[in-house]
Amino acid sequence: MQSRWDIGEPIKPTLNVDTEKLKSELLVLNMGPQHPATHGVLRIEIWTDSEIVAHAIPHLGYLHRCMEKHSENLDFRGVIPFVDRLDYLASMNMEWTYAMTIEKMLGTEVPRRAELLRILTGELQRIASHLMAFGTYALDLGAFTPFLYAFDYREKILRLFEEVSGARLLYNYIWIGGLWNDWTDDQLSRVATFCDEMEEEAKKYHDLVSMNKIFIERTANVGVMNIQDCLDFGASGPVLRGAGMKWDLRKNEPYSLYSEFDFDVPVGTGEVGQVGDCWNRYIVRMKEVVESIKIIRQVMDKLEPGSIMGKVPKVMKLPEGEVYVRAECPRGELAFHLVTKEGAKEPYRLKVKSPCFTHTSMLPRVAPGQMIADFVATVGSIDIVLGEVDR
Amino acid sequence: MHKELSDLINRNVQGANAVAFIPADSKKFDGSITVEASHIYKVIEFLKNNKETSFNSLHTQSGVDYLDYMEVCYMLTNYDPTAPRNVIIKVKLTDRVNPTVDTIVPLFAAANFQEREIYDMFGIKFNNHPDMRRILCPDDWSGWPLRKDYIAQKDYNGMTVYPDDKMNFEDRDFIVRQDMIKKAQSEKAQ
Repeated sequence: MQSRWDIGEPIKPTLNVDTEKLKSELLVLNMGPQHPATHGVLRIEIWTDSEIVAHAIPHLGYLHRCMEKHSENLDFRGVIPFVDRLDYLASMNMEWTYAMTIEKMLGTEVPRRAELLRILTGELQRIASHLMAFGTYALDLGAFTPFLYAFDYREKILRLFEEVSGARLLYNYIWIGGLWNDWTDDQLSRVATFCDEMEEEAKKYHDLVSMNKIFIERTANVGVMNIQDCLDFGASGPVLRGAGMKWDLRKNEPYSLYSEFDFDVPVGTGEVGQVGDCWNRYIVRMKEVVESIKIIRQVMDKLEPGSIMGKVPKVMKLPEGEVYVRAECPRGELAFHLVTKEGAKEPYRLKVKSPCFTHTSMLPRVAPGQMIADFVATVGSIDIVLGEVDR
Repeated sequence: MHKELSDLINRNVQGANAVAFIPADSKKFDGSITVEASHIYKVIEFLKNNKETSFNSLHTQSGVDYLDYMEVCYMLTNYDPTAPRNVIIKVKLTDRVNPTVDTIVPLFAAANFQEREIYDMFGIKFNNHPDMRRILCPDDWSGWPLRKDYIAQKDYNGMTVYPDDKMNFEDRDFIVRQDMIKKAQSEKAQ
């Protein structure tokens, strides 16, 4: 009996044209602005030659909220909630960098306990952000389960942050001069339990995803960004480290109290694939989670009771001048270029150097010659947050 | 550090006229080096390629509008684990109507997006830039938002910008803006 799917020989088209003379051209395909793989509202205009990407042109600005212009009309404290909304997956690090910028100009001394707690929150946030990157990256590549695992543990961090700051995503917790609220001993002991659990969990992720054959096939040797490209484009963070460069601001130009801490800077070694590909960028993030746990444990040992707020004037007026302050955020180096006028209560100019903006500009360089599915893997591997790209 | 670097630039790039700005309190503020706008390409090329400085990466570019003049700042950095170095190089542009400066995209690919952003926000055109379009604002937007005398257009493609019924003009934070808009409008009327 003939199967209902058996439709016989395919019909050959009889065309009255010489196939060699057929006009062929590149097809324009719009990825986004509403596309799950772009992690927000990014539109990438892809010129495809069948399944191969010929050019990729990123179109930004769908989430442009004029943050830099707004901050020129706000007092220095009022900018903090706006800074939160840049990289909304790593708000703590954004606030911290902004607070450091103002503190440098004011010359404020932040109490030791506040500095240590900032490192604690910053590293917890880094873990949360990398978990998000891990989950959504696997989701991009078609694996749904890791996303649920990652969100389970990210939730534990968000619960802690919620208790301590009152918000789950946009905290307004790190203030100029210190912190808004202190951590209780109970919360700190929960952080310690979380660290133990997370360490075991990270091993599970490693077995589940990192060494998974399908995952390796999808990511190894895909979207290679070598060191020369990275330096040319000013890349930083896991993208630069994935390319094999041992550069971390926390280690090379230590800010805050990072010089007291003992941790490694993981780099892409090419144990799978080649250095600078998607897999190496991914594994750098996963190793950083373990390093962050190390740092958090050291913070716990060093913590002593004390004040959490330094001496800051009630009406904040900064002297005239400019600073450029950089810090290592989960996605790369964030920097603020702040220009102030004598006696002004608001910034004269606040420029945000966003790592994701820089990394997005690398897409046209890596895209040509990739398959469309591999391009999705590449976009996912640089872990962009559009709030920060468009500002 | 800035003094030595500006001397080095002056010795090696003819006509660069590098002037170092060293702040009174170097712990609180960052210094910078101002060079002639017409020589910026040569200065950056020198800083990138010579062995003494070898700044191997452009961190970012930033623009500032001081009303009398506009500035483009180049934050150069050296990703060198043993001796990290950073410097801010500046150019001043006095022409507000049609400010132009040479692009540095052939030296650092990072400049591509950064210069587009400065063009978008300040209207500073970069000569020989491969793709001089707006980047964050729509292509048909008018005006340069981060200039201090900017007034947002009232109408955009049939839509009202800042509709009165949706704006909280009484808000404390907007008082500053209202002052600036009124000042700019009165200056324009004169």
